[in-house]
Amino acid sequence: MPGRSDQSLLHAYASARGRGDEAAAVVAWEQLVVNNWDRVKQSVKLFRFSPGGPCLPEDEHGSAASAAYLRVIAMGANFHKREIGAFYAALHQCVQNSCKDYGRKELRHTKRTAGSLDATYEPDGETGPYDRALADYDADLRERFRDAVRAERDALEAEQLVRWGIAQIPNDNYRAVLELTYGDAPLKGDEIAAQLGIKAENVYQRRLRGGKELEKILRGLR
Amino acid sequence: MASVSEHILSEFIDAWNAGRRPDVDDYLARAPEAEREELADALASFIVFAPTPDYSEQTLAEIRAEPIVAEALAATGERSGLLPALMRRLRERLGLSTEQVAGALVADLGLGEDRTAKTTSYLDRWERGDLASARVSLRVFGGLARVLGVSRDELVGAADLGESRVATVFRSTGRDAPESAPLLEMLADALETPADAAHDEVDELFLSGR
Repeated sequence: MPGRSDQSLLHAYASARGRGDEAAAVVAWEQLVVNNWDRVKQSVKLFRFSPGGPCLPEDEHGSAASAAYLRVIAMGANFHKREIGAFYAALHQCVQNSCKDYGRKELRHTKRTAGSLDATYEPDGETGPYDRALADYDADLRERFRDAVRAERDALEAEQLVRWGIAQIPNDNYRAVLELTYGDAPLKGDEIAAQLGIKAENVYQRRLRGGKELEKILRGLR
Repeated sequence: MASVSEHILSEFIDAWNAGRRPDVDDYLARAPEAEREELADALASFIVFAPTPDYSEQTLAEIRAEPIVAEALAATGERSGLLPALMRRLRERLGLSTEQVAGALVADLGLGEDRTAKTTSYLDRWERGDLASARVSLRVFGGLARVLGVSRDELVGAADLGESRVATVFRSTGRDAPESAPLLEMLADALETPADAAHDEVDELFLSGR
């Protein structure tokens, strides 16, 4: 199904699973992960063990990306969220865990303990940096729809997490630029400048500075 | 006045959104060293929730043809699902041999050390895709998850994803998958199990199903 949006594919996947059509679910999930290969690959390249810290050795990028991608595909056996932002957050966590795992391997070699199993896995590593924002988002939805009818709830649940995050940004200027950057039909920098009647330079600044605000909100640091 | 990294970030965003598949390395290389870390952070933040571009059919075909993608998608069609490929990656990342994993698994499951060789043999078959994951006990999945440092659900999910596709093939050919598929798997496993091997708890764990 070329050309289908991630949100549409995730809905197709969830609907297929809901009616027990595993074949259709697999097809939708496969297209979803193909759509997101670049997100995995580029995220591996940008991975840091700590803020400003070391990244993975370049010769490990392929292996880490491969492991991360396999884990993203494997999520398709049991993924229950219908919100594409939750999928992106889960994908991000898969990449982070896989890259950290490769770091564990490096650490083992450094300590000359390769082959031993002295370091046990920490299950809490599955907890993602966006979990708090996702929980807040869910809580917000629950509050807003406590008395709503089912149809209204379904319609609003389709609202993307990232849009919710952008709406929380207090700075109007940042918000306006990010809405046009992350929208369904995102605009180029010069198009945003023209639409908002500002200089392209302002768009560049607001994309970076607004992006930092969005990151803080989605990580639940505000 | 926007900084160089703000310019570069914006160029990357435009290239990404246009479906031109930009590579972060190319953009980071253009940034002054003093701004590179800030740019890397900004790129990482953008990519987490960036809208997926409306890729053309040609671009999607190019993505599917990339070696890692092609290998991963092919793995979901294997007899044991995605699991063999994932197991190999997880084992390699820890720098462990199959025998070392087997030794740790035997210890985790409370089996005697003398069961390590047989367990190694089963793990080797499994990793080669010669053992159906549906035949393997959940106890093994749990132990293996602890040894390899992932959740059990993740391993079970990797196994199930491919096997649902196998069942689909049976359905698409009009054959009776629910009845015939497990029998065929059992027959295949029986043929692959050495005749002189004494049946013990290791065989139970790897052949009796979940």
